[in-house]
Amino acid sequence: MADIKFNEANQKKFEQLLKRYPQKRAAMLPTLWLAQEQYGWLSPEVMTYVGGLLEVPPSKVYEVATFYTMFHLQPVGKYHFQVCRTLSCQLRGAEGITAQLKKRFGIGIGQTSEDGRFTLTEVECLGSCGTAPMLQLNDDYHEDLTEAKLDQLIESLE
Amino acid sequence: MDVMEAKVLTKNFGVKDSHTLPVYESTGGYNVLKRLFSMKPEEVIEEVKKSGLRGRGGAGFPTGLKWSFVPKDSPKPKYLCVNADESEPGTFKDRYLMELDPHRLIEGIIVCSYAIDCHQSYIYIRGEFVFPKERLEQAIAEAYAKGYLGKNILGSGYDLELTVHRGAGAYICGEETALLNSLEGLRGMPRLKPPFPAVVGLFGCPTVVNNVETLSALPFILGEGPEAYRKFGTEKSPGTKMFSVSGHVVRPGNYEIPLGYSLKKLIEEDCGGMKDGKALKAVIPGGSSVPVLPAKDAMEVNLDYESLAEKGSMLGSGGVIVMDETTCMVKTLTNLAHFYAHESCGQCSPCREGTGWAHKILKRMLAGEGRAGDLETLHRIADNMAGKTICVLADALAMPIWSYLKHFRSEFEAYIEK
Amino acid sequence: MPKLTIDGKEIEVADGTTVFEAARQADISIPHFCYHPKLSIAGNCRMCLVDIEKMPKPAISCNTVANEGMVVNTKTEKVKELQKSVLEFILINHPIDCPVCDQAGECKLQEFYMDYTMTDSEFHEEKVKKPKKVDLGPNVMLDDERCILCSRCIRFCDEITHTSELCFSERGDRSTLTTFPGKQLDNKYSLNTVDICPVGALTSKPFRFQKRVWFLKHVPSVCSGCATGCNIYMDYDDGKVWRYRTRDNESVNQCWTCDAGRLSYPLHNEKRVTRPMVRKNGVLEYSTISDALGEIARALSSLGGDEAVLVGSAQESNENNMALKKFGQTCQIKDLQYSAKPKDDADADNFLIKADKNPNRAGVQHLGYQEFHGGIGVKVVLALEGFSETHLSQLREEGPVAFILLATHLGPETELADVVLPAATFGEQEGSFTNFQNRVQKFEAALIPQGMVLPAWKWLEKIAQELKQPLQLSAEALLQEGFGLKFADLGTEGKILESKN
Ligand SMILES: Cc1cc2nc3c(=O)[nH]c(=O)nc-3n(C[C@H](O)[C@H](O)[C@H](O)COP(=O)(O)O)c2cc1C
Ligand code: SF4
Ligand code: SF4
Ligand code: SF4
Ligand code: FES
Ligand code: FES
Repeated sequence: MADIKFNEANQKKFEQLLKRYPQKRAAMLPTLWLAQEQYGWLSPEVMTYVGGLLEVPPSKVYEVATFYTMFHLQPVGKYHFQVCRTLSCQLRGAEGITAQLKKRFGIGIGQTSEDGRFTLTEVECLGSCGTAPMLQLNDDYHEDLTEAKLDQLIESLE
Repeated sequence: MDVMEAKVLTKNFGVKDSHTLPVYESTGGYNVLKRLFSMKPEEVIEEVKKSGLRGRGGAGFPTGLKWSFVPKDSPKPKYLCVNADESEPGTFKDRYLMELDPHRLIEGIIVCSYAIDCHQSYIYIRGEFVFPKERLEQAIAEAYAKGYLGKNILGSGYDLELTVHRGAGAYICGEETALLNSLEGLRGMPRLKPPFPAVVGLFGCPTVVNNVETLSALPFILGEGPEAYRKFGTEKSPGTKMFSVSGHVVRPGNYEIPLGYSLKKLIEEDCGGMKDGKALKAVIPGGSSVPVLPAKDAMEVNLDYESLAEKGSMLGSGGVIVMDETTCMVKTLTNLAHFYAHESCGQCSPCREGTGWAHKILKRMLAGEGRAGDLETLHRIADNMAGKTICVLADALAMPIWSYLKHFRSEFEAYIEK
Repeated sequence: MPKLTIDGKEIEVADGTTVFEAARQADISIPHFCYHPKLSIAGNCRMCLVDIEKMPKPAISCNTVANEGMVVNTKTEKVKELQKSVLEFILINHPIDCPVCDQAGECKLQEFYMDYTMTDSEFHEEKVKKPKKVDLGPNVMLDDERCILCSRCIRFCDEITHTSELCFSERGDRSTLTTFPGKQLDNKYSLNTVDICPVGALTSKPFRFQKRVWFLKHVPSVCSGCATGCNIYMDYDDGKVWRYRTRDNESVNQCWTCDAGRLSYPLHNEKRVTRPMVRKNGVLEYSTISDALGEIARALSSLGGDEAVLVGSAQESNENNMALKKFGQTCQIKDLQYSAKPKDDADADNFLIKADKNPNRAGVQHLGYQEFHGGIGVKVVLALEGFSETHLSQLREEGPVAFILLATHLGPETELADVVLPAATFGEQEGSFTNFQNRVQKFEAALIPQGMVLPAWKWLEKIAQELKQPLQLSAEALLQEGFGLKFADLGTEGKILESKN
């Protein structure tokens, strides 16, 4: 693995981050976020690097990274579909949304398509229950989904 | 009381660019600060106590009282942590408060920080809320530029730094001590209490944790006075509250209503009634952890702390989940059990094992393999985990289990092989 | 000093004492898994829940501070039910495979399970699958399915060794004890995690499945690995020492030992000298006892007292060194020196491990031995185990020297000896070591010396007899004469020597 290191922009952001907390370790989540943005996922090398920056043993980075569902311990597709599966969404058809995506990409939940473009996961309530069913595609919410709307969304992706 | 008047939190929601500083200022925003800095912190706490404001994050703890627990003579820094982790299923109010009126929240944060002598506040926002986070950060930048945040705010000599801290996907981080651990860079595991955060909180210092909605009510309370706030709501449950309505209604969404408002009216009038003209079956009135109400009770209850308690449920976070006659109660409870099993932090044996066990039983029942004794076991699991753990996540599944079995037992029995 | 009542007993405890500790002081034991007196409170297992009158909910006794007037119940039906239900939760995902578990017999889970006569649980679901045979580090194996997630081992590595190798990954019932990917649990104290693991999740690689624990007998003893003298139990059976276990001594090792020390037990079983040996025509051969003693007597009797040197040993017990000193007095040999393993500054820390790898340097020094410096005109050297090749070559620089060794182990030095007598290890005799704090600590005999092996002091008695010198020894008398102590004075914690001046 090539040298793991923040690029210049992220290094600056990281230095800014540290100023906001009285303890380095408190910058853990934001630093992991920066690292994940740069590398796409958190490899052991990346976690070791983060541990070094924050002066925290690697195991204490690992235990954090695996606790939170949004950190990727494995690479994910370019388009990460995260379908909310919790009650309000279920009441309004979340299962149909998941089924549609499974069929469309030919993958199961937790899988990435062979071309590495699409990853499908089910997630718990995203705080968007009033506009159910919904999903989060990478960072963005797509709400009040219908079959047609979802098709359109997929079409719009390169 | 006309609902339209009772707009403490959402009065700017319809206004164009409501999230920007100029718009907020043009509606009287940040006016409260002048008065705030002329008051003593104790006086601010007193006013908040008088308003009767209770925490809107779920537990309903009196806000002024909570602030008064922060030791005044402590030489340590004090912190305010804003709970913007909003992840209780059925709840989506804080998100809109941040997206549409972030300055109201910031102003509320200044009020609370000043009252507890805090000079660094953190907003802990759930990781998925990327857009609300952007809105917040823009607003904070605006507020710094205008001198509402930072050093010597409006020449008062009072300093306050405000930082947004992004979570990364864990419901449990909404529990206030898990939130503190998460902020400190640890796994989001609730802490043993005592000590309570007011005494030993973030970085071992006195800390107040308040919900977004709670803090957003402060500009009104300080601006118009506690009596004005008490004009809304009931004697015991004063003020307004956001209710997030989801599920089988025509118009799901957020509704700010005075406490004591009728649930029937909320569903039938404000939300346009049941979707597709179906009949109501059940309502979870306060986010997924509170006991479910069957239609009959739901149609009789008013949305305030006392009325809901009388019917055996709770106000919680104000997430109203409406279920129509077609809903399978076994399936919905299985859904919730999945949620709590997935979100248990895993440290306490009863919660870690009990939530998973309950989910497995329900899943098996749903798959047509229910066995005699399953319902008793479910009940026993709920009994044995509730009240025996570090935080109340275990109770948050026990309450649905008890109430589902109580009100919809025959539906569950139908899944048990004869 | 709050007064409280636990199970009807009224007791007074120091401010800040927890209910759990208060109960312990009143000899009331409360079932527990995660609590450990030397580690921070985790409060996660919930096994120690008790009923405290006027409290709305059951409280965990390990994190509840005792207050004036508290009335605590730990044995009522209600509390029994609580504990039973917690136990049931802990057991649902636990492979109840005690018959094949290495921990069986010392497992707290099994113990409680029996105590509560748990019937078959109502658990009909599939158990959570986790890694079974994890090679956690050079000395420790992990079975994650057995782990009850009490976090003791993690806290040990965070708070005691400060090495933080361990952590939980994931959350909920997927929580898994692990190291960072690709890293190992590799610190000098790693086997303590095996001790504190309340179940059979962590096991000692060297001990795994070698011996069912219920066959083992034990005696209190002391580790000979360094000057700390950690207190141990020596577990033995079938004429072999199978393992050392930590024995608590608050003022020496608390409840810990280092891995190297703990794993030094094979010294009792391996490479032992079992029969006397005598050099004949330049070749070292097995001999009878009387031949060997005769040879020694011949070497010693023809000398003046200043032509012989007696070399005690910082590796040997107080009693054997005292016996050698007495032997010198009887035979008018005044030159008392002692051998010691060289200091190892690289293998030392400010916790337990000392650079001085000798268990009894303070003891030999107390007896007046000088550290080995050689000598001129020495014709005979009589030495206890510990005397090395280097020591010998230093003496032989000056001319030929007859070398008599009371050896426990075969090694390069036995090869060079003229007479070797088979000496017992400290596992085969009663005795004591004096540690770096000047604390005299007793060890008991686990094994009966095999074959012709005897404690060094008994050999010295025999040599004296052969020389027609009266010398009647016993371990008790040697300790008394050399240190002014009786074994009974040493208790379980040992006794600090009064300073001599
Ligand atoms: C499992 C669990 C999850 C919680 N989630 C949230 C949450 O997402 N947002 C929130 O404001 N409070 C949440 N709470 C309540 C907080 O612990 C705390 O009571 C609240 O933030 C206090 O603020 P308030 O007094 O302003 O309501 C949760 C509590 C528990 C036990
Ligand atoms: S009750 Fe559940 S979520 Fe709360 S601390 Fe215990 S294990 Fe964690
Ligand atoms: S391995 Fe043992 S000590 Fe470590 S957490 Fe698991 S049960 Fe506890
Ligand atoms: S620290 Fe020294 S005495 Fe203690 S176990 Fe290790 S070697 Fe033995
Ligand atoms: S249930 Fe799907 S966003 Fe809340
Ligand atoms: S021993 Fe008290 S909770 Fe585990």
